[in-house]
Amino acid sequence: MTLQERANPAPAETGEEFRTRLRAFFTDHHPGRAPKDPAERFAWNRRWLATMFDHGYAGPGWPREFGGMELSFAHQVIYQEELARARVPGPLGTGLGIVAPTIIKYGTREQRDRWLGPMLRGDKVWAQGYSEPGAGSDLPSLRTTARRDGDEYVVNGQKVWTTHAGDADLFFTLVRTGTPQSRQKGITYLVVDARARGVQVRPLRDLTGGHAFAEVYFDDVRVPVADRIGEENEGWPLVRTSLGHERAAGAMNQAALYRRVLTELEDLARERGLLADPLVRARFTDLEIQVRIIRYNAQRIISDILAKGEPGAASSVSRLLISAFEQEIHEFALDLLGPAALLGKSAAQSVQRSRWLHGFLRTRASTIGAGTREIQLNTIAEQVLGLPHDPAMPPR
Amino acid sequence: MSIGFTEDHEHLRELVRRFLQARSPSHEVRRLIRDGLGRDDEVWFQMAGQLGLQGIAIPEEYGGSGFGPTELGIVLEEMGRVLLVAPYFSTVALAGQTLTASDDEEARRRWLPGIADGSLTATLAVAEHGGTGARTEIATIAEPAGDGWALTGTKLFVLDGHTADLLLVVARAEDGIGLFGVEGDAAGVVRTELESLDLTRGMAEVVLDAAPAIRVGGDRPSGGWLPRVRDLVLASLAAEQIGGAARCLELAVEYAKVREQFGRPIGSFQAVKHKCAGLLIEIEAGRSAAYHAGFAVAEPGAEGAAAAALAKAYCSEVFTHAAKECIQIHGGIGYTWEHDAHLFLRRAKSSELLFGTPARQRARFADLVEI
Repeated sequence: MTLQERANPAPAETGEEFRTRLRAFFTDHHPGRAPKDPAERFAWNRRWLATMFDHGYAGPGWPREFGGMELSFAHQVIYQEELARARVPGPLGTGLGIVAPTIIKYGTREQRDRWLGPMLRGDKVWAQGYSEPGAGSDLPSLRTTARRDGDEYVVNGQKVWTTHAGDADLFFTLVRTGTPQSRQKGITYLVVDARARGVQVRPLRDLTGGHAFAEVYFDDVRVPVADRIGEENEGWPLVRTSLGHERAAGAMNQAALYRRVLTELEDLARERGLLADPLVRARFTDLEIQVRIIRYNAQRIISDILAKGEPGAASSVSRLLISAFEQEIHEFALDLLGPAALLGKSAAQSVQRSRWLHGFLRTRASTIGAGTREIQLNTIAEQVLGLPHDPAMPPR
Repeated sequence: MSIGFTEDHEHLRELVRRFLQARSPSHEVRRLIRDGLGRDDEVWFQMAGQLGLQGIAIPEEYGGSGFGPTELGIVLEEMGRVLLVAPYFSTVALAGQTLTASDDEEARRRWLPGIADGSLTATLAVAEHGGTGARTEIATIAEPAGDGWALTGTKLFVLDGHTADLLLVVARAEDGIGLFGVEGDAAGVVRTELESLDLTRGMAEVVLDAAPAIRVGGDRPSGGWLPRVRDLVLASLAAEQIGGAARCLELAVEYAKVREQFGRPIGSFQAVKHKCAGLLIEIEAGRSAAYHAGFAVAEPGAEGAAAAALAKAYCSEVFTHAAKECIQIHGGIGYTWEHDAHLFLRRAKSSELLFGTPARQRARFADLVEI
């Protein structure tokens, strides 16, 4: 039984009543348009998260004792639908989806009290420190070390692909406490203060020209043992923890988001008189079919959870469907606009501030980040279809 | 609209799967192909009598169990997995659903109990030489004759048309397109089985020469409910297709686990793994589309039409792709007559081209959702 299920009371209000209440809240407190300046935008986003938290509208699946709403799964779905509809920003940093479930499941009481509420309120922004230059999809080969010294660990090494590292207050990292050969058996889960002495963040320019990622260097960084989650050398299994249900409910949010993006592209094509071309129409038809299937698939995951308590096979393919779709829609947008798509956002002639070009470049990461498409296909092949392990790969 | 399966649905799936595993294994499918009889009588009557499968989507007052497209979809998905040789799709998914949707009390009372208890087989004859089944293609003429009607024209691509006891024929009357019931052995009916790709499902030409007929839907034009029949049929076919696709992947995966090359199972090679995982993605996506269509067509409305067109277009492509990859993964074995892979390819290609090709369904979908 999950934490949510154990603590979840019978819903006091019907789905429709809940929807009405949410809609009213999002209307009354809507933060308005996002500022263009990145720093202002960040502060604006933080203020919105605090507003949601302070009114009890943050963390739909989280236990109430950590500031969450502890909603039933059906209510989480409604929450995600309304969130998408209201067009309000979501959580900041990568903390909520990945580290929060780990803290809830493996953290001490003191750690939960110290970390969870501020994370949900946006007071503390978390960034991920798993990947390294030589350890992406092959995470067990990571080399950043942590040596025990009294009540502290001394951390040395480098992390990379850390999203929003410049804004982060805390990094959740995996470090090697075992021998270099120990692979996943010698890994420990540590939380590192971003302001600690010896932490250096260097923005990493990605192929879009932006700085969403950074490299993070640890040079004799001292981390209290109290900031270790789980036991020493036993950090690996913690990586796979997730609030699967919350993620499933979020699939509905994504389906709604991409439905909107497709409508926006259709509107653009219509304005520019491009829809009359039968080949253009055929491609829009194909994208419409795909985005609907993404929604049907999300509905199926949700109904599986409601009926059986867990998502079925539909959930394992959801991410790959979405990543293929988001790459394709931007690629098609470029085709559609022709040379006009090539102009950067500062050019007066650019189309919609070059959002489609940016999306084309940005979504190259969709099939790489959080496990490449190839690794995910391997995982599906082995774990869902039961195909034999590749002997060239290290044992799981 | 309901979007989920209940525990009863899972029980139904389990029951049908176990029955078909026992009664329609590969060697039985091949025996029936060789005999050319189109069905095993004992299996057929067991399906009707003990399992109630023929009556699943027929209202209780006509001897059925009163369920709808969702439950029929579950049964068809299982039948698609085993390539059942029986006139089930034609009798139940085509004719049974047509009569149920028709709202013609007399026609329902006359034919549905026979379908439900297995004593009557039936089919739907729409397409002619063009093969599209579009209204503009319908050249078969219905003229009043005595108390009833007389039909003249030629229907093609009629599934199980050479054996069906009852033919439901779409024809052109003076007041518009209508539906007519013709006894299979009536005077003026000449039926010829056609050699065609799918060995597990027969197809016929039906030539009608002033064949006596009864109008379904009374004297009201059937324009109102015939489009709904098409949606029901497309959703049914998508369910059957996704069952076939899933079985192709299973066969490929089973083989890839045991077949060794270069000293290891071929399923441990990434090239093969990715092929299989890629198929799983398509199949699960297709399943979501087919299930959604089943739920959507259960209720009248525009949503069902778009969902059914989408599901037929998508599941057709998924099934054919899965069948081709199944052969590829089996290598030389998959190219032989003895292996079942070609039977799936035959079924897949036939289902893809019948009842509106993917290109045609995509175009219909685009019109329906106003792209």
